[in-house]
Amino acid sequence: MVEIIFIVPFITGLIAFFVPKEIGRPLLVITGAIHLLLSLLLWKNRPVAYFSDYFAVTPEGLLSLLVISLLFFLISIYTISYLKEIKIHAENIFTGFMLLFLSTMTMVTLSDHIMIMWIAIEATTLASAPLIYTHRSGASLEATWKYVLICSVGIAMALLGSVFVTLAMDIGHVDAPLSFSALTQVAKSLDPLWLKAGFVFILVGYGTKMGLAPMHTWLPDAHSEAPSPASALLSGVLLNCAYLGIFKTNKIMYAAGLNDFSSTILIVFGLMSILAAATFILKQNEYKRMLAYSSIENMGIIAVGTGIGGIAAYGAIICMIHHSLIKSSLFLSSGNILLGYGNRLISNTGDMVSRMPKTFIAFFSGFAGISGFPPFGIFIGELFIIVGAFRSGRYVTIGIFIAALCVIFAGFAHQVMKISFDDFDGTIQLKEKASMVWPQYILLLTSLIFCFYMPDTVYQTIVDAVTAVGGGLR
Amino acid sequence: MILDPVDTILTFVLLSVLFSFGSSRLSMLIKVVGFQGIVVSIVPFFVGYDMSIGGTIFTLATLLIRGIIIPMSIYIAIKRVAIHREVEPIIDYHASLLCGLGLIVAATYISQQLNIPAISHYTLLFPTAISILVTGMFLLMARRNAIAMVLGYIMMENGIYLIGTTFSVRARHIVEFGILLDVLAGVMIMAIILQNIKRTFDDVDTALLRTLKE
Repeated sequence: MVEIIFIVPFITGLIAFFVPKEIGRPLLVITGAIHLLLSLLLWKNRPVAYFSDYFAVTPEGLLSLLVISLLFFLISIYTISYLKEIKIHAENIFTGFMLLFLSTMTMVTLSDHIMIMWIAIEATTLASAPLIYTHRSGASLEATWKYVLICSVGIAMALLGSVFVTLAMDIGHVDAPLSFSALTQVAKSLDPLWLKAGFVFILVGYGTKMGLAPMHTWLPDAHSEAPSPASALLSGVLLNCAYLGIFKTNKIMYAAGLNDFSSTILIVFGLMSILAAATFILKQNEYKRMLAYSSIENMGIIAVGTGIGGIAAYGAIICMIHHSLIKSSLFLSSGNILLGYGNRLISNTGDMVSRMPKTFIAFFSGFAGISGFPPFGIFIGELFIIVGAFRSGRYVTIGIFIAALCVIFAGFAHQVMKISFDDFDGTIQLKEKASMVWPQYILLLTSLIFCFYMPDTVYQTIVDAVTAVGGGLR
Repeated sequence: MILDPVDTILTFVLLSVLFSFGSSRLSMLIKVVGFQGIVVSIVPFFVGYDMSIGGTIFTLATLLIRGIIIPMSIYIAIKRVAIHREVEPIIDYHASLLCGLGLIVAATYISQQLNIPAISHYTLLFPTAISILVTGMFLLMARRNAIAMVLGYIMMENGIYLIGTTFSVRARHIVEFGILLDVLAGVMIMAIILQNIKRTFDDVDTALLRTLKE
């Protein structure tokens, strides 16, 4: 039974609300471990869902699921040490919603029914809003308000889009279940006008959640105000979940022969996101916001890659996996920096290389990875996207793409250098414990290993996923 | 041409849309949202095809939640906070009204261009649904008062509900269920945030929320 994998964290999440923190903290790690085990079993056996109308195991879902499991497990280990260092109000609420958040995100990766997908993505918003408000300050309140309002409105747009897809079925006289897999098979007979309208609304809706510009405004606020483990989850996996909704709709578009239409829109939104990130990252004075803008950039890269198709779509999936691994490690390291320097501003940090050497290694290699240095995976992914764009003759697109990436690299590097090597007079308030740096090292190491050695089953799953949107290594 | 009963009710909804553009008081806006909530939960019952017991119960439940429970709870929750307050417009009422009129004309025009089989004999259904939806978005953007924004969000969901339940016969209950869940949970969370905004800033004017930029 596939559904067990999101039921387990749901139940433990509910339990976590009512137990003291001595039980809640281990519960987080234990659930993470069980979840990881279950998703590995799912990879191995690929069973059929019990409610097969609503849930299905798909290649793209499996990829996201594995990333979620691995990330959550490592983040939960970090969280235990993190919670010992800071004081937060009502810790049981924090752990409870972390687990519920995990449950809803898992549900997104497994859902096959259009409406269940929508409900699951909306549920991720509701489960993660209290996490952003953990610190109970005026600023975190503002971030939560923006997050809930903007994302709810966005998700409402996606609902409208989903309704339009059902309308496309009615007008095309198609009788099939309302699931992505069934619709992909009958895509040719769907009414193209309403399907296009549906796609646009779904892209805008889930794009809001994914952080595509110009609907990204909630993202830097939410990521910077949330406690670092929650930021790592938001950036590392929540954005992917929203992308999954777009990806699956794009599958229908491709099967219906409307991929020219969908690619153009994806590329335009993708480029806008990269450009928005390039504009704002240059004058960013908070490191967590800087990382958030880098997430917007990477979501843009993924959208552009998916839009271009072919080898670029393969590159987009590679980017997605590695972005999750590297960015979550960066957010965890930023948690250490915040605890160490007690300040969010870049100008109040410095000399990390000698003050916090272990965190420095994690943060700096994360920076190298996310900016697309070889040997990290983002380099390979971006290379595939660029090659794919040249193959399909999209020279203007790729010109803007490369130029914006250079600007972002310059801005990012400038700030990271300041944090790492500038003078700093104050004292560091954090002793670097092993459990607060090892999760980052493991995440980065996984990214590194995936570049040189990718298991055949993972490779095959990526190829299966991108074939459905006209991608592949050929 | 004699109007269908559905169209007759919808005429009132269209009028209420204009009302919400022009009203300056929150209490008025809450009443409008409640009225629209009642109508949008009744309409699918007339347009619909199944009159089963389950369907009837579901309609009644929706009616209760959308038309009565949500507006009432908002009314009670904010009674002491800001009920007699203005909605703090960014775009003033006269300009808003003009926007509203333009919107209704545009929605009617568009709906004549599109041919949707399921609702072809209800003249006003599509224009009304689109009008409510866009009005909700308008309130979200053009009002600074946080409660007015939440009401705008509910209005928007009302519009989508009307579209979702009447345009397509397919998977209707799951659409209904999903939206209901969403509105309930969403409004609940928003209400909690609202209370906290009130406690922290001693006001519900979103202009106060401006520490985070860029």
